[in-house]
Amino acid sequence: MPTLWIQILSGSDKPIYKQIVEQISELIAKGELSMGDKLPPVRKLASELVINPNTVARAYSVLEQSGLVVTKTGSGTFVSNPELRSSDAADINALTERMDTLITRGLNLGFKSRDLAAMFKDRLSTFVKKRESEKKK
Amino acid sequence: MIDTVLKTEALTKYYGKDLALDHLDMSIPRGCICGFVGRNGAGKTTAIKLMLGLLKPTAGTSKLLGCDSRQLKPSIRQRIGYVTEGHRLFRWMKISELEKFQQRFYPKQWDYKLFADMIEYFGLSKKKKVKHLSNGQRAQVSLALTLAPNPELLIMDDPTLGLDAAIRRQFLEGMIKLIMSENRTILFSSHILADVERVANRIVVIDKGVLRANCTLEEFRLAVKKVKVSFTHRVPDEVNIDGLLSCRKSEKELELTLVGTDDEKVKHWVQTVGADRYQVVSMNLEDQFIEFTRPSGRKRLFQWEAN
Repeated sequence: MPTLWIQILSGSDKPIYKQIVEQISELIAKGELSMGDKLPPVRKLASELVINPNTVARAYSVLEQSGLVVTKTGSGTFVSNPELRSSDAADINALTERMDTLITRGLNLGFKSRDLAAMFKDRLSTFVKKRESEKKK
Repeated sequence: MIDTVLKTEALTKYYGKDLALDHLDMSIPRGCICGFVGRNGAGKTTAIKLMLGLLKPTAGTSKLLGCDSRQLKPSIRQRIGYVTEGHRLFRWMKISELEKFQQRFYPKQWDYKLFADMIEYFGLSKKKKVKHLSNGQRAQVSLALTLAPNPELLIMDDPTLGLDAAIRRQFLEGMIKLIMSENRTILFSSHILADVERVANRIVVIDKGVLRANCTLEEFRLAVKKVKVSFTHRVPDEVNIDGLLSCRKSEKELELTLVGTDDEKVKHWVQTVGADRYQVVSMNLEDQFIEFTRPSGRKRLFQWEAN
């Protein structure tokens, strides 16, 4: 089982379960966690991070609802098969909305649209590169 | 049915003419870690002492593990752990003597190995006397004494008061370790909201002796929020929205702090008053607590004013 390098920020305005969801999602997006990888048991991760086990359980259930992981009763929680993840209209809406926020912010800061596009491409490629290097391992 | 391990009903305490606790109705379900928060003098210590039968209530009742707090039998006390504010231990005893003394109260369930491991981990010697320990070391000994009997219900009165970050974290680790055992429940008071958020899944807020909230931590996180509303023209004279805790006005902006007002209601209200746009501002638990317990209608201590 890989060690999950999750960092909890105390006193943040982001609830702890959300911090976990975001960090695990990012690990999956970058390929550091891939299909079939097992997440640490709830109680183990709770002990390591010194947080309430219910918070970890909550994070896992949010990840499960979004389809990124599946829980097999008795054996644990695993990263799901990407081909079986489906995005529905609501997911697309949510994604568009977040992009709009970023675009608004970028334009208001005075960036040109081609600069923003380049930045987006640049960030995207770091994720893609990371994924590919993880695959080769 | 939810198994309740701690229940108070209209629990009230006067010190002379001063009302310290006002009809407290509080219940804690089994299996949770509950953060007990309130400002200085809110009545947390009084409530805890009443629950443990160390003070006599002026009125009302309190029950721990189904047993009246004023008549806690030894068999019930053996299932309860209690940490006093300031970790008061007998100064003239050695750590080994303290262990022996404390163990007698929990004869059947004392975990000698856990106690020894913790004392070793803290770099202490059992031969050391309490009076030669620093505040932090005394707190560490107190933590070991508390966890060794593996109590079913643990009540701690501001256990991390004045402790450094590393020892505070050891207390949090201790709480998480205890809750991993089946059916354990912890109630602890604290002023460090970041610690409460880390380990607690329930929160009880009292203010001036009155219960203000008793819910899951997530419910509280969702309930208290700040909304910034912008107007093209002037802000309305009157702000009439459910759950309003406080309202700050500028010429074209309102900053509302709300409790328990759902997003749909906010949206609806914003439309009714003809606001231009609005934005929900995220808050951390500490900000939520400060806003939630701020006396209503009171100005800030220091107010910036434009000339």
